Amino acid sequence: MIRLESVSKVFKGDVTALRDASAEIQRGEFVFLVGPSGSGKSTFIRLLNREEVADSGRIMVAGKDLGSLSSWRVPYLRRNIGCIFQDYKLLSKKTVSENVAFGLEVIGRPRPVIKRQVPAILELVGLSRKADRTPDELSGGEQQRVSIARAFVNRPLILLADEPTGNLDPATSVGIMRLLDRINRSGTTVVMATHDRGVVDTMRRRVIELDRGVIVRDESRGVYD
Amino acid sequence: MIYRLWYFIRETVVSLWRNLSLTLAAILTVGISLSLVGTSILVREGADRATAQFQEGVEFIVFMNADHTPDQDVAIRQVLDTSPAISQYAYIDKMAAYEEFQVLFVDKPELIESVTPDVMPPSYRIVPADPDAANVAELARQFSSQPGVREVATATDAIRQIEDFSTRVSQVLLVAAVVLVVVSAMLILNTVFTAIGARREEIEVMKLVGATNWFVRIPFMLEGMIHGLIGAALAIPCLFVVENQVLSFFQESDVVPLFRGFAVPDGFVWDTSLWLLVLGGTVGMLGSAVAVTRYLDV
Repeated sequence: MIRLESVSKVFKGDVTALRDASAEIQRGEFVFLVGPSGSGKSTFIRLLNREEVADSGRIMVAGKDLGSLSSWRVPYLRRNIGCIFQDYKLLSKKTVSENVAFGLEVIGRPRPVIKRQVPAILELVGLSRKADRTPDELSGGEQQRVSIARAFVNRPLILLADEPTGNLDPATSVGIMRLLDRINRSGTTVVMATHDRGVVDTMRRRVIELDRGVIVRDESRGVYD
Repeated sequence: MIYRLWYFIRETVVSLWRNLSLTLAAILTVGISLSLVGTSILVREGADRATAQFQEGVEFIVFMNADHTPDQDVAIRQVLDTSPAISQYAYIDKMAAYEEFQVLFVDKPELIESVTPDVMPPSYRIVPADPDAANVAELARQFSSQPGVREVATATDAIRQIEDFSTRVSQVLLVAAVVLVVVSAMLILNTVFTAIGARREEIEVMKLVGATNWFVRIPFMLEGMIHGLIGAALAIPCLFVVENQVLSFFQESDVVPLFRGFAVPDGFVWDTSLWLLVLGGTVGMLGSAVAVTRYLDV
């Protein structure tokens, strides 16, 4: 599903974000990216949905070579990739269901489809009763659920998560991880960058550890360190 | 498809409302600049029509009585053909005069109905060898005493003044209009830029979930185009006000003998309006296209 071959990425001012990184992630896997701040976790994620382009090496995602993917095809690639973030990136003026519907609307899904899928996904993330609230009326955990609903409503092949529990307390994080686990069990590949030792140690999934842009550990059923 | 259309319309309208003051400023600037463009065109056209008979070197026109005799014609022609003071001349018969009358008064059917070719005065349009004003005045005086001549109209200073005046006015207006058109394009650019800024988060999400670049761009381009089109629509009534003014200016002036009241026909004003709409829409599209490509990293 995802393959990196000797991928390097250097930012302006000679900041090496990723150096000669190679990894292969199979369909349906759940992978944690761990490492200190600035170790390249976010760059790893951003390379996968082509927010960044690698300087060298090859990246294959969902059968596409991102290096040779023309820019007008990028939106279609992203329709196969859901993304969630530490700061949720919800639209504060829209309600919960409008936020989720927005994700479908802007890729041209017909209204009847949207009307059917939005309540179903809100049911899945457990927010049916809060469909008409706005994000600032929700707790952090609930906001992250909305963001997951928006990322997953289109049933993507891959879910990328950049520190999704970064702003949440441990109890709430457990709920979010259960939800991600459930999504993973439905066949979606999940790649999650995290600092959250508790989460990684509890889940016992594959762990890829980065240090200053280099992959220093890759073990299945790993722990944080 | 219909859902997308609805989406674009909704987003465009919301965005127009959200930036109401900037939107109004952009629309008004487009309106003012296009009014000037249109006025410049109308003044030019009005002056061309007012002086239509005095073009290509014609300095004076000898109008014959409608009921003059053939002998009188022969006498005039003899002078015209032999006099070294006359460079060339053209004879406009009753029918040609009537046709010209119909063209000049195309927007006044009641006036056209009131005349027939019979009552039209035939005329000689004369290019003198020496176009000096004193010389022309002397020639005009000579011809006016000929039998059968009703009136001699000279391309007096007043007519030249109309031409000069209209040329200068239309040039000044045109320069001001060009400057303002550029200003409006920049104002539209800024308005669209502000609209993009107000929706930065939405755009980020759109790109994240895989909206195509055109899907992101179209509402902003529509917004710019609507600024241009509404501005042009505001300029159209202004054109009709100007038309009335131009019309009365040339109608009330005494300097254009016989054929008086050369106005710009409504049809010409509508044609000009259409061009203003095209120009407005284009300026709006260009302004927003620049804003979209420069500030919307898609």
